[in-house]
Amino acid sequence: MIAESFKFPEINSILRWKDIFETFNKIALIAVAATVISMLIFILAGAKDASKAPKGVRNLAETSVEFIENGIVMQTMGKDGLGWTPFLLSLFLFIYLCNVPGIIPFLQMPATARMAIPMFLAVVVWVIYMGVGFKHQGIKYLTHTIWPPGVPTALKPLVGVIELISNYFVRPFSLTVRLFANMLAGHILLVTFALLTSSLVTAETKVWMLKPMAILPFFMLVFLTAFEVLVAFLQAYIFTILTAVYIGGSAHPEH
Amino acid sequence: MEALARLVAAAEPVITADDQKAAAAASSAGFAYGLAAIGPGIGIGYLVGKSVEAMARQPEAAGMVRTTMFLGIAFTEALALIGFVVFILIGL
Amino acid sequence: MQSAVIHLQESETHDESEPHTCGGETGVVCPKDPGPILPEMKELYWGGGSFIVLAVLMRFVLFPKVKKGMDARYNGIRDAHESADAERSAARAEVAEYEAQLAGVKAEAARLVEAARTSLEAERQAKLAAVNAAIGERRAAAMAQVEAAKLAARDQIAAAVGDVAGRAGELATGRRPSAKVVERVVSEVMAR
Repeated sequence: MIAESFKFPEINSILRWKDIFETFNKIALIAVAATVISMLIFILAGAKDASKAPKGVRNLAETSVEFIENGIVMQTMGKDGLGWTPFLLSLFLFIYLCNVPGIIPFLQMPATARMAIPMFLAVVVWVIYMGVGFKHQGIKYLTHTIWPPGVPTALKPLVGVIELISNYFVRPFSLTVRLFANMLAGHILLVTFALLTSSLVTAETKVWMLKPMAILPFFMLVFLTAFEVLVAFLQAYIFTILTAVYIGGSAHPEH
Repeated sequence: MEALARLVAAAEPVITADDQKAAAAASSAGFAYGLAAIGPGIGIGYLVGKSVEAMARQPEAAGMVRTTMFLGIAFTEALALIGFVVFILIGL
Repeated sequence: MQSAVIHLQESETHDESEPHTCGGETGVVCPKDPGPILPEMKELYWGGGSFIVLAVLMRFVLFPKVKKGMDARYNGIRDAHESADAERSAARAEVAEYEAQLAGVKAEAARLVEAARTSLEAERQAKLAAVNAAIGERRAAAMAQVEAAKLAARDQIAAAVGDVAGRAGELATGRRPSAKVVERVVSEVMAR
């Protein structure tokens, strides 16, 4: 053996952190920070003079509002859905700000790479789109989701089972897993290449070539960090737009 | 003599049933994720390719195509991610 | 011997079942690990709680304020656009009015020029006629003079001829013919 073999750490040791106090850990800290930061952005933006051209914090807040309105609500729900903008906006900001610590140095942990937050958000979304469905269509919502309009009678049992499972179980499950697994995979990739770099640099070996080779996993680490910036945004966007699609679908089944 | 035999037996690496299970799990976890990635890989490639074609044909509809493309990617990608979760569950 | 072997095996199993360290920090013992994909209750409470707080505040306080400002500014911009449009159309109307006035003035000028030209022509015609008339008058006067002179000359000639003829007749006949006869003969001859 030319060097000590590389050993991947136990999975929990890269995901679970020391409790800050008994009932408060790093994930909770990130979640609270995400809330506080988004609230601060909007409080500061609201305090500024609205009549001038927006800049700084206000520009950030207005850009995010317009992104939600034009990029998500208008594309999926149309004008009727504009009332959902605040909810979708807070959903997007919260997920994004929970994702981004995965690449911030010294934090290095996306809060959504743990099951709790994605699951909670998916359950909230599930409750909301079911509620919207019952509110807009009454009890007919059940039959509409199980048998979409225009299904031939012969196919009803088959379609019914598929749609039932897909609407009530697969949707929240896939929302959860999509966000959670994407962030977890990104985190594990970053950990892998960081460990590879550091173990190559600190390897006790007589083969001198091995140490400069650490530049290769380091480049990969840099590239993946840049990629994770994209993923953090994209996952927040996808979660939000899927929420919008589900809510829009329950409100108006014909679309 | 018996004691010596025991010493030899102890010096040899003990492969328990748990170890065997862990080894099998580790190798099958790799297969699980690899197999789970094939379908979504093809699917996403096809999806994005078709979307680019559509956008090139009708640049004015690019916004709508992009939104739909992301939705499709999200649905397709979920399969690969479920494979990844299985990988985490049985492998690590 | 036996006890030593047992001890070795015990220590091995003990190694495997040792609790994990948290966050790579050795010596810190975590509570029971829930597994990598099970949600942890404290994360659920804190994460869910902070999201609910954010969503509620965003819905009722933060978003409406920012949105109100945005709407106010957009309405302001739209009003400014509309007033600019109105001003532009007003300016267009003024330009049209000015052009109409300009066309009127041009027509007036053309009419004046035309009138001046016609009056000039008339004057010229009048002057020409006057000059022609003067020339005709003078010519007539000259003609009259010439006629008068011709008549006078004829009378003188007739007198002279009569005188000569009377003398010739006196010489030939010894008797002076009467003036009346001579005059008649002379006028007959001269009319021939």
